[in-house]
Amino acid sequence: MRYLIKHGSIIDPAQRVATIGDILIENGKVVQVFDLAEMAPENEALGENIEVINALGCVVAPGFTDLHTHLREPGEEHKEQIATGTLAAARGGFTTICAMPNTNPPHDRAAVIRQVRQIARREGHVRVDIIGAITIGRQGQTLTEMAELVEAGCIAFSDDGSPVQDPTVMRNALTYASMLGVPIMSHCEETRLNAGWAMHEGVVSTRLGLPGYPAAAEETQIARDIALAELTGAHLHICHVSTAGGVALIRHAKQRGVRVTAEVTPHHLTLTDRWVLGSLAAFDPEIPPPEPVRTTGNRRGRKKAESVQHGLGIRSWLDPRILPPYDTSTRVSPPLRGEEDLEALIEGLRDGTIDAIATDHAPHARVDKECEYGLAACGISGLETALGLVLTLVHRGEMDLVHIAAKLTEGPAQVLGRAPATLHPGARADVVVFDPDHPWTVDTAHFASRGKNSPLQGQQLKGQVMLTMSGGVIVFRRGDFGKDIRTIRHASRLDGILSGE
Amino acid sequence: MQLQTSATQNAESNQERRRHVFDLDDFSRAEIEEVLDTTESMKEILSREIKQVPTLRGKTIVNMFFEESTRTRISFELAARSLSAGVINFSGRGTSVEKGESLVDTVRTLQSLGADVLVIRHSQSGTPYLVAQHFQGSVINAGDGCHAHPTQALLDLFTIREKLGHIDQLKVVIIGDILHSRVARSNLWGLTKMGARVTLCAPPTLFGAARFWQAAWPTINISYNLDEALDGADVIMALRLQKERQQAGLLPSLREYSRFFALTDERLDYARDHALVMHPGPMNEGVEIMPEVALSSHSVISDQVANGVAVRMALLYLFTT
Amino acid sequence: MSPGAKQIFNADEIRRALVRIAHEIAERNEGVRDVVLIGIRRRGVPLAERIATALADFEGQQVPVGHLDITLYRDDLSRRSTTPRLQKTTIHTDITGRVVVLVDDVLYTGRTIRAALDALADLGRPGRIQLAVLVDRGHRELPIRADFVGKNVPTARDEQVEVRLHEVDNEPDTVLIVRQDM
Repeated sequence: MRYLIKHGSIIDPAQRVATIGDILIENGKVVQVFDLAEMAPENEALGENIEVINALGCVVAPGFTDLHTHLREPGEEHKEQIATGTLAAARGGFTTICAMPNTNPPHDRAAVIRQVRQIARREGHVRVDIIGAITIGRQGQTLTEMAELVEAGCIAFSDDGSPVQDPTVMRNALTYASMLGVPIMSHCEETRLNAGWAMHEGVVSTRLGLPGYPAAAEETQIARDIALAELTGAHLHICHVSTAGGVALIRHAKQRGVRVTAEVTPHHLTLTDRWVLGSLAAFDPEIPPPEPVRTTGNRRGRKKAESVQHGLGIRSWLDPRILPPYDTSTRVSPPLRGEEDLEALIEGLRDGTIDAIATDHAPHARVDKECEYGLAACGISGLETALGLVLTLVHRGEMDLVHIAAKLTEGPAQVLGRAPATLHPGARADVVVFDPDHPWTVDTAHFASRGKNSPLQGQQLKGQVMLTMSGGVIVFRRGDFGKDIRTIRHASRLDGILSGE
Repeated sequence: MQLQTSATQNAESNQERRRHVFDLDDFSRAEIEEVLDTTESMKEILSREIKQVPTLRGKTIVNMFFEESTRTRISFELAARSLSAGVINFSGRGTSVEKGESLVDTVRTLQSLGADVLVIRHSQSGTPYLVAQHFQGSVINAGDGCHAHPTQALLDLFTIREKLGHIDQLKVVIIGDILHSRVARSNLWGLTKMGARVTLCAPPTLFGAARFWQAAWPTINISYNLDEALDGADVIMALRLQKERQQAGLLPSLREYSRFFALTDERLDYARDHALVMHPGPMNEGVEIMPEVALSSHSVISDQVANGVAVRMALLYLFTT
Repeated sequence: MSPGAKQIFNADEIRRALVRIAHEIAERNEGVRDVVLIGIRRRGVPLAERIATALADFEGQQVPVGHLDITLYRDDLSRRSTTPRLQKTTIHTDITGRVVVLVDDVLYTGRTIRAALDALADLGRPGRIQLAVLVDRGHRELPIRADFVGKNVPTARDEQVEVRLHEVDNEPDTVLIVRQDM
């Protein structure tokens, strides 16, 4: 099957290109890119067996890569399976996802890696890469047979969720992994500083009487791991950095030339600890009344993005007050942080301190969340809302669309030491088409993921994936998207968004 | 309309009926005053020979206590009985909860069995909000984790108003384990809404981080020196200090805590002559409060307990009928 | 007076009716030695006070007056959208063995009096209970009747009897019949 994706706004972060044009896809590869001046003529004979997809008003970009996904299979198939998780990924625009090792059994033996890869090949809708465990049973004591795990297909190592507390074990892991050329992905959490935690330590935790997770519990271990990376020369990747102090540590380390990379989640970029207040935030004088959606508000005096303003009819932009207080969907590790942390994370993403946006997709069953706040499982089912959430940064004028796309494509590829995903002719046709302006209301009942745990339930987002193609095969298509070729007009709503650079 | 007088009474009563009592953060000053006024009427009933009115006849109130509390549970039980409600006591121990039944399942079961009001005490902050999402009747928070204890705060407010005539502009000093105290948090809402000037006094480890308290309740003062804090105080509330705090390393020793933060006779001299001494109980005499202070003429600790029943009757009447 | 409202008592007529009731109370009970007047909140309270003043005038004896709030004894609490504001019951006299004269403004369904009787039973054991009302408008739903009545006023169910007393309402004493749809 051949596809011609017409009239899209093509963003190719690897080439820093953003143009309006057409893309011809054949045999699973990008064959040709026509830009605005030389669009594929409507009447030119394109031959048989071709589908023309109308992408007018939409962005066409390389498929996204998620460095941090929990697929739960094997062991907790009631929360997620590789089939459902990869479908959720496709719906979110991801064509490659990296599966974290905290399954049961965990990714600590080659046999498990091979089994997971086999299921992924058979049932997966997108490409699944495997992250191996650093230590046997993720117990933090004995290193796994890392070389054999890499041979079996592991692309990185992590004990995510059960961070290695013994610094000597961490040092050895980094040193050993440096031989294999793969990163150690560190979930940085000093568990002696946040015993019994339920949420970020701050004004909100004080008010709600919930045990706090101080920013320092993350930062002390980021500092430790950076020192160890400097000592060993190994590649350290910091998972889901969530604090201003953490961003500063990574920034300084990069300036010194330490091999450290970092990721941030969509929820830490957009939600704060106030979300735990839920409707109680209505009594918080510091939260202003809901504002209508504006896109010209621009705190840092960057270029305005006026063109994205049109009748959305949205009551408010991301409003925590529609949640009940102490809603367990807001419980996540690391926790939703304060306003100043959120600002620092955006700044870190903008200045390159943070390399990638990763979802930390953590699906849970209803019973894991339908309980007391402090006893609820940590995690947000994030694959299907990731794009809509990070686009709020674009609509608010905090970041430009090309930059955001790069953090979902080129950034994660670089962390994995891969050639950046591109739409250059000859590249594998991993493509996402999304409408950055499309308003929608999050309804977790429609998630492909088994995990319906999202604090965004009922929120209005702007920007939605319309079509995802993995290796030239359409793995997700929203309704009849792109089939009505006759209505094409030569116009784009994207001028404003694309002007950020 | 059955009763002739109801039209005019309607006009004066609360506009929209509250169904749950979670904390005082969403109470207005007028609403708190209505509770305190109603409490006075309830006190009159408790002074009668027959301490019972038929108001809640046929209603079933379930006391769900997942944490030990003889005092609060009995107080709620007496309040419910004085209003002629049926009372069922349910403790977390030895029940289906221990067999792994989730709290939400338990609440759904109680709903099906016809409970009208759930009074809940739980060690996890925020649990009453969860319960209310799965229950059609009223939920009253009898203390959740470190979060809130609104009925205690209301009985404290009532006792202060009863003894000193008003709350506005009074200097209230709260001493002790602030960090873990739901009593302190609910009192902060109640006292600041009623216009009191509140000073919190404790070693900084018992705040967690004092700046967060200052940010959450901007009008309060924070002190690490008890003698200074007590200067000119109208009301002094000592909080219970649990021995585990010392084991957790928050205090060097109970002896040192007692030396610098216990309420003693000598320290009471810094307060005003009419100063009230309060304690939510149970007391650790000799740790946070000296026995001679607890028994002194300043002490209104037994009034607090007595007023607790009337306050809880007022809440049951106002929000669950 | 709003259009559609009909005055059935003016201030003077109210005064005369209460004086007459006071005389009847004294006559029926052969003096006022054992009498306790208990006004039902809210408008029964000033009426009881006025009757007590009249009794003091011609009997030369101060009759004790109590205030009774019957809210907690109502049978319609759970059917109302708002909770009535509770007021204090203040009865400083032991009512056991005494002649209690309940005083209210309007006798209608009888439910208020039923609640008041229940409340009195909890407060003591009166020797006798009598009922005095300013207006009896009929439509009883319970077997209750008044011993002393200012005026019997036939009404329709969709009419409302409005009593205004200066102590409570800050306007001149009057009793009106108002059609509810006005």
